[in-house]
Amino acid sequence: MNEKTYSTPAATFTERAEDYVLEVVLPGIAKDEVELNLEGKTLTLKTASKYNNPAGFKLVAAEFERGDWAMSFDLPEMADTATISAKNSKGILSITIKKRPVAAARRIEIG
Amino acid sequence: MNTLLNINPWSIFDDLLNVNSRAFKSIRSRAAGRFPPINMFMDESAVIIDVELPGKSASDIKLELEPQAVTIEDSPTVKEGEEKREGEWRRRIELPFRVEAEKANAKFQDGILRIELPKAEALGKRRITITD
Repeated sequence: MNEKTYSTPAATFTERAEDYVLEVVLPGIAKDEVELNLEGKTLTLKTASKYNNPAGFKLVAAEFERGDWAMSFDLPEMADTATISAKNSKGILSITIKKRPVAAARRIEIG
Repeated sequence: MNTLLNINPWSIFDDLLNVNSRAFKSIRSRAAGRFPPINMFMDESAVIIDVELPGKSASDIKLELEPQAVTIEDSPTVKEGEEKREGEWRRRIELPFRVEAEKANAKFQDGILRIELPKAEALGKRRITITD
């Protein structure tokens, strides 16, 4: 089996009143280069980057590695996974999940 | 990418001590904080610089070109109601050859700014007539 190394991307997780937002920094990654999966409450993402040296050019300085990223993240209990949505813009992947509505208190009739 | 294997890791430190080197000059940013990393590529006719700037777009960055250097500067977009903020970093990169300003172009894609700088046309040799 071929070995493949992935790095963990920088990410921030924010809890807001109605939802959660996970922002993952993936510079240079286009929409079709990310694989995002949800299994139960676990989010996993993996990138398959097509970034390479421009054809015929020699690398002179390399300060950012352009390997692939992977990470997994367990969403909190209150996350309503059916409402998940994701948007990729300017190299940042933004994933939003609404919170499960809290059931209102009910008065129970005693028979 | 196997290209990294050809670089002697220790030479980077030699460069930092040399005040005239590209490495030393690029460390001097406006704040002591971070500045964006770059990848630089070249062939005989151009230099390409990729700058890692996730979340940024054209209006957040200022680019200045000199005959043989390019300066990238953080120039935050002022949102409505906010005071103008000072940029947090500035980075000047020396180039391996002179470049032609009119043919330079820069484009943002998915948080990476790619700057293409074609080499300046070589000045031809001219014969000078000698008068007595």
